[in-house]
Formats: sequence, C-alpha cells, structure tokens
Amino acid sequence: MTDTIRDTPSDRGFAGPLEPVDECLWRIPKSSRPGMLVDGLIFADERLIPQLRSDRAAEQVANVAFLPGIQTASLAMPDIHWGYGFCIGGVCATDPAVGGVVSPGGVGYDINCGVRLMRTNLSLADIEPVLVRLVNQLLQDVPVGVGQGGRHVFSPAELRMLMQEGVPFLKARGLATDDDVALAEAEGCIADARPEFVSDRALARGSDQCGTVGAGNHFIEVQVVDRIEDPAAASAFGLHAGQICVLIHSGSRGLGYQVCDDSLRALRDAPAKYGMSLPDRQLVCAPVESPEGQHYLGGMRAAANYAFCNRQLLMWQVREVFARVLEKPWHSLGMELLYDVAHNIAKLERHQVGDTSKDVCVHRKGATRAFPAGHHDIPNRYRAVGQPVIIPGDMGRASWVLRGGPRSMERSFGTTCHGAGRCLSRTAATKAARGRNIQEELLRGGVVARCRSREGLAEEQPQAYKDVDIVVDVVHRAGLSLKVARLRPLGVIKG
Amino acid sequence: MHEIFEHTADLGLRATAPTLELLMADAARGLFEIIAGDLAQIRPRPDHTERFEVAGTDPTWLLFDWMSELHAAFELRRMLFCGFDVSIDAAGLHATAHGEPYDPARHTLAHEIKALTQHELCVVEAAGGWNATLIIDI
Repeated sequence: MTDTIRDTPSDRGFAGPLEPVDECLWRIPKSSRPGMLVDGLIFADERLIPQLRSDRAAEQVANVAFLPGIQTASLAMPDIHWGYGFCIGGVCATDPAVGGVVSPGGVGYDINCGVRLMRTNLSLADIEPVLVRLVNQLLQDVPVGVGQGGRHVFSPAELRMLMQEGVPFLKARGLATDDDVALAEAEGCIADARPEFVSDRALARGSDQCGTVGAGNHFIEVQVVDRIEDPAAASAFGLHAGQICVLIHSGSRGLGYQVCDDSLRALRDAPAKYGMSLPDRQLVCAPVESPEGQHYLGGMRAAANYAFCNRQLLMWQVREVFARVLEKPWHSLGMELLYDVAHNIAKLERHQVGDTSKDVCVHRKGATRAFPAGHHDIPNRYRAVGQPVIIPGDMGRASWVLRGGPRSMERSFGTTCHGAGRCLSRTAATKAARGRNIQEELLRGGVVARCRSREGLAEEQPQAYKDVDIVVDVVHRAGLSLKVARLRPLGVIKG
Repeated sequence: MHEIFEHTADLGLRATAPTLELLMADAARGLFEIIAGDLAQIRPRPDHTERFEVAGTDPTWLLFDWMSELHAAFELRRMLFCGFDVSIDAAGLHATAHGEPYDPARHTLAHEIKALTQHELCVVEAAGGWNATLIIDI
C-alpha cells in the first residue's frame, strides 16, 4: 500500500442497552429506539460481550428490527460482527402475508456462500507423509485467489441451465454423483430460480468462475477429526476420530455479487414507493410479494444454485488432486460428500410464530440452517439425528460438525452460527502480522498453509477470529445445534 | 487524500478533496490500491486508456456508480488503472482512466473486491472541500 493509505480505528462500538435474558441470550429492547418493531436478541455469553461491545454489529441488529413484517425478533448468532446493513451472524424472518419484506442486504453479496464437508477413508498416518505435496498440488490445480479463472467455462446459455437445474446439471455431465446431489441442502437446487433475471454482466463475471475458490475468507482445508462428542450422531454422519476430511468454503463468486449489486440498484426507489423508512441504505428492501421482491428472489435462487455448483466443481477437483497424489481412484479413497449447507441465503420456510404456523421469509446472513431431528428437509440418512451443520473456525485451531438442535425452531427459526466470527479488522490483523511469518507460525502448529496473496495469510490469521470453541459452546448450550465432532486443520489453501 | 479505515470484516475507504472532481479521482485511486496494493506497479499504456461516462446528479450515487464501473472494468476486462482525469457537469461524470491490463507475471494483487456496499455510503460537502465514505466487501 502507498503512504496515502493509513489505518484509523473503527468509529465506535455499541453503547446501547444489552439486557441478559439467560446465560446465552441478550436483548436489545425495542423500546430503546423509536422505529424498532421487535426486540433484538443476540445469542452470546459473558465471554463474548466485550467483543460484542467493540464494534457496531449490535447497532445493526437493532436496525434490522425496523424491517416491515419482521417476526418475533431481530436475531444474531454468537459469531456476530459488524457487516453492512445486516450484521454478520444475523437472522430475520418476515411474514409476506402482512407486507413482510425481502432485503438483499439480509443475504449479502456472496449469495449462498456456504460450506461443504467431504469425508475420506484416510487416516492421519496415510496423509502425513504426503501432506506438503498434497497442499502444493491443491494450490497448483485448484483455482484460488484474485484473478484466477477456472477450467470449467460456461456459455451464457449453459450458465442459465446450470442456475435452473443446480448440481443435477453437473451430474448429467459426469461431474457429480447421486450422493453429491442427495446430500446437499435442497439437493443442490433451490426451486423457482429465475436465471432470466440474471444480468449479462453477472453472466460475464460468472462464466469462468464456477469451480474457483476466490479470496477473502474462502479456502479449502484438509482436516483430521480430533474429537468425537456425540458417537451416535458421528456414526450417522460417517465420522470417526483420526479420519481425514476436506472442508470447502466458497460461494457464488462474481455472478452472485453482481446479482446482489443489480438488485440493490433496482431497489433504490423501493423504500419511497412502498412508504418505508429505513435506518441504513444497505437495508433497502421490497415486500416479498411485490414485483421487485419476486425479481430479487428469482435471481437470488439462480445465484444460489450457481454457488452449489461452484462448491461441487471445487470438490470434484479436490478429488482429482487426491487421486493424483495418492495414486488411487478417488472412489477408493472414500471421498464422499457429508453435507453442503448455505450460510448466506433467504428462504421461504414454514415456522411456528406464536400460536400460528406460517410461511415466513427467513434471511440468514452468516448464519446456518440447523433443522432438528425429524425435519422433512433433512436427507433420509441423517433425519434421525438432525441436519448436519458445518462450522469452519480459523486455519490454526479448529472447525466443528454439529447437528440441528432441539430448540432451534422455537428460538432462531431453525438457525445457528456459521463460523468463529472475526474479532480483528483486516487492517488491525495486517498490523498485528508485521514482523511475523504467519506461514511458519502455522507450520509450527502443524498446519501447512499456502496462500496466493501477501495479504491473505495476515488478514486471515487465526488471531483475527474469535475462538470457535467458545462460539460453538454457546449455540450448544442454547440448544440451537449440538456438538458432534471437532476437526483440526492440517493443510489449507487460500486466495 | 484517502485512507483505509477499520471495518471488522471488510475495508472502509474514506477520501477528502478540495473539489468533487478530485474526490472522484482520489477515491478511484483508493479502489485500485485495495485491489492491487502498490499503484507504482501499474504502467499506463495509451492503447488501454478508457473513457467512462456516468449519468446522474446526486454526488453520492455518482461516486457509487463511477466506482462500480471501475470495479467492473477489473472484473470483466482485468483492467488496472492508476490515473484519472475527471470532469463533472449537469449530465454527470466524464472520466479518462489510465492503466494497463493485469499481467500475472508483473502484477501482484492484494484483494478480491466482492462489491461496493451502500452501508454508510455518503458524499458530503464540508468546509473547504468534499468527503466520501464507502465500505467495500472483501
């Protein structure tokens, strides 16, 4: 950076009211600001409150409570941090029947940013001798980083089919198995996508990016299961201690970012048209049932299906790299999808609100669906234990597999956290990395890290994130999702 | 001048300049510093000078739409710009951008910008000049 750029501290933290409801829940009362339609409710415990006070995320929770048609409360998960419009970790359900809105800011630019976990039949002993070669080969063969196009290039017509059909489109081309479809959220295809609503500019940005990781906090990580917390659920998920897994974190790439950008542009005048007063421009929205709302939802679903396909193509390439390095077909390495789940999405779902069961539009921005055992939207083989929930932590400490908890439907519209959550800004993390070699530090901790950019490792260093064990402990105690297995990183590639 | 300010997950860009035209040019340099790091690595080539026309009168949306076009130039054509001549009239913004296409052999890139957000987006006239604030999703 040139000397025209300098660091300045974030403007201020949150000084508003935070009332304890129980040991894992805090309230911002709706009486604290004129215009709030419901309370703000934040899942956190005492350990996370200083961080919560340090940035402006809680103010954003209060802002979301202004959205027309919001139900029950404006919610946030314990990995909450300052975002744009909505906080990261935010959950908001609106009722279309009473003019409830859909807000692109409640999904974010990276539509269907999400994670997928692949298990293997490999052990730590199988991987350790080839780990460095494996990570180097992943970096070489899987497109990662700024400006990296992929080897799967789709014409506009093909992209439209891909966005309509989702992962089954890839299966028909020999790039996905039956289980790759069956074990993704919504079977890798959200219904009612409208690819014709996706602009030419979005198609151009997406043409060579399906099957690319991107940059920022996206990654591919080789992990080992280091602790089983729930043997029965772990068995249902095909997990055991010492097993090698691969975690993939990416989203809808430039195509999805452009769909969101186009939608925000189209909605500029919507607040005036529908008589809404919003505390932040980024909360711009339209009634779900309006032409503008339906247009956004159709394009968003198309971008979400692109994201499922992106993670599928990434997983396919990871399988190919493992097969090359270990000199065995990937099928014989047991490289099977455990689950794929979105954490930036808006979906129409049936929920109990007070005494009424109704369809609401659930926005999850940096928050993961966590349906409990028995829910009909969970794949058959997992239904008895609950939906798998995949929580990436940071690249030095841990990630988690959870299962949808018994209280998620009543407390959070079937939702839990999505990660550790940042605690240092990118500029602060870069400053903290000066004079240090993050790659060597990670290696001393047993993690082989490869990153395309100088900034990537510094900004994404483990210290930039909250302790994922604490975040997961809160959602476990709150009954939103329950611990199944803890995974430890061995190797990571980033942009 | 411009500065990057702290935002937990993303990056904030704040620019100040004596005129609206200089503000637009300075914010544009800030955008490409976020993408590429050091602008000194960009060598402008006359055959890659580009013209931009952005319609509008509201200074805030003018900044947002101008920056969006520059971001799209990188995303779609891999263009890196380092110099900007900007004029503004009743029709909108007119600019010439000087730069060259991204060359992996010579350029290092610093950040992938997902999008320019509208959170706290503003352009305001203050004593002796103009200020702009923009938060960028990384």
